[in-house]
Amino acid sequence: MSEPIIRTEKLTRTYSMGESMVIALRDADLTVHAGEFIALMGASGSGKSTLLNLLGLLDRASAGEYFLEGTPVSSLSRDELADLRGRRIGFIFQNFNLLARLSAWENVALPLAYRQGQFGQQDQLSRAREALSRVQLEHRVEHNPMELSGGERQRVAIARALVTQPAVILADEPTGNLDSNTGIEIMRLLKELNAEGRTIIVVTHDMNVARNANRIYQMRDGVLKESEFDHVTH
Amino acid sequence: MSLTDLLRTALRSVSANKLRAVLTMLGVVIGVASVIAMLALGNGARAAVDATFQDLGANQIQIGQRFEMQDREFVASGEKLTYQEGLEMLDTVPLVERVEMSVSKTLKARFGRATIEIGAIGTTPDALEGFVAGGDVQPVGWTGDAAFTADDLIGEGRFFSTDEVYAAAPVCVLGYQTALDLFSGDNPIGETIWIERTRCTVIGVAVELESTDVTQRYQSNPNEFLAMPISTMIQELYDEEPSVYMTAHVTDANRIEEAKEQITTYLREKHQIEQDAEGNYLDDFDLTTRNDILGQQQEAAQTFSILLAAMATVSLMVGGIGIMNVMLVSVTERTREIGVRLAIGAKQRDIVSQFLLESILISASGGLAGIVLGILAIPLAAALNQGVALLYPGSIPLAFVVALLIGVVFGLYPALRASRLDPIDALRYE
Repeated sequence: MSEPIIRTEKLTRTYSMGESMVIALRDADLTVHAGEFIALMGASGSGKSTLLNLLGLLDRASAGEYFLEGTPVSSLSRDELADLRGRRIGFIFQNFNLLARLSAWENVALPLAYRQGQFGQQDQLSRAREALSRVQLEHRVEHNPMELSGGERQRVAIARALVTQPAVILADEPTGNLDSNTGIEIMRLLKELNAEGRTIIVVTHDMNVARNANRIYQMRDGVLKESEFDHVTH
Repeated sequence: MSLTDLLRTALRSVSANKLRAVLTMLGVVIGVASVIAMLALGNGARAAVDATFQDLGANQIQIGQRFEMQDREFVASGEKLTYQEGLEMLDTVPLVERVEMSVSKTLKARFGRATIEIGAIGTTPDALEGFVAGGDVQPVGWTGDAAFTADDLIGEGRFFSTDEVYAAAPVCVLGYQTALDLFSGDNPIGETIWIERTRCTVIGVAVELESTDVTQRYQSNPNEFLAMPISTMIQELYDEEPSVYMTAHVTDANRIEEAKEQITTYLREKHQIEQDAEGNYLDDFDLTTRNDILGQQQEAAQTFSILLAAMATVSLMVGGIGIMNVMLVSVTERTREIGVRLAIGAKQRDIVSQFLLESILISASGGLAGIVLGILAIPLAAALNQGVALLYPGSIPLAFVVALLIGVVFGLYPALRASRLDPIDALRYE
């Protein structure tokens, strides 16, 4: 089998709260192969956000190692992490996190703009257009986020996550701020993207969302466990 | 991020808060304007001194009778400086090699039926060289590469000689316009005119002159004058001995202070000025060298310059702190934006550049506005400083660089702070 996209070995994250030590993530072993669709479930405070932050290279593990496409990341500098994050990871947030002053395409092109002159203005625009048309927003290219509906905003965010052709897309409660119909649309889109070969990890506490995944992990008190579909109860 | 992307980002975020940006600029605007005005004062003083330098060479000492304030009027004090003293000085004071002397008076001149009032100067022949060295006037249309000489100033005939001065010869030289006024185009050379009740032969006419300073051209006419030997003028046209204005030329410019002392000693002896009880001399004459004028001018400009420098420093500091404050607010307001940018691949230097460019944009705009304001304020500064202020061209790039530096120095801390935000905290910020 080929190198997994993501492999963690006893990944642990602890926080010191004054005298006491809080273990947010304990010895997590997770392997994700290309083309998989993983759901990460758990109550709030269970440590799933901690894991997602580590997988997204936004945070550093206290112990253990994380291999992203075979690269151990613990020894990387802050800027090297930023570079890797920009190139290989796409983020989708619960609250979209679009920049209000930028148009839809400028938001989508932003990750390209941070690639040290690799993409010229025209290149940025054409790639952003391409990503926007993938999420059926070619008619909203010049619109500002404020002029878009919630579902459209999330699709712009998805286009932003797609534009760099990342190794993995990390979605943190992508339907959390959307009504149920729009949420279903967004999940359908993510499923389509997965069917096209994209590797996706979704963090959610909604079983209906998790059902779209081909594997589901459960987090409880910082411990990660893979669960069978049948065992998962809502 | 590329510079164009960064600039676009900075422009957009500054223009999103126009009023805030403009208010923030104000300190820099005033500071930069003060710098421009301050340097204009210094430059004006220097230009004024330079202008005086041309009149007064490094080896020259101006000697004039001292004037004192009495009952709100300037009156000549003590004894006059006489023509005779000027001649004697040349023989008595070893360091003096030449003494130019002049007196001037408004007189009536008549030829045939034409009568005019004219500013007459009684002088020595070398006054013509002083005229050339003064650099205030030039022959009309003078385009020669070489500087013109004393000979170039005389159009027809000649200037009077040293012998004619010693002999108090009744001869005179007319200005171009004066010759036209008296002779209506006829040749004046050799004609005799009446100056008051004295007959005088015209021996020369000056070429048409114009002021070298274009702004001065309409204020006085350098072509209206009458020059004659100082001896003739004193003998024939003054009821009593006039006080003479002298310029002593010293053999060695390096020994000018020594020469000054020699002249002072000579004049004190002539005027019988003795030490008073406190050991001071109450001189009735003034000696002025180029260094003295430089000192006076600098002193006059200095007080005002110090004031402006203080104002510039304070305004620039306040402006800088204002920028820092606004940038810190901006960083806090945009914590989430910073988090998003970090999440999608912005490196620390991208964030630093973004916020630094924003503060530089504010300070540079303030700098440009300040330069305009400063240039407009120069006439005001001049009015407060006896009309001496002149835009110093170098002050524009200097002021602009100062403005840029303010943006960098005071924008650096907020920008660094923004770049050091933890991406997770920043994304979570409400």
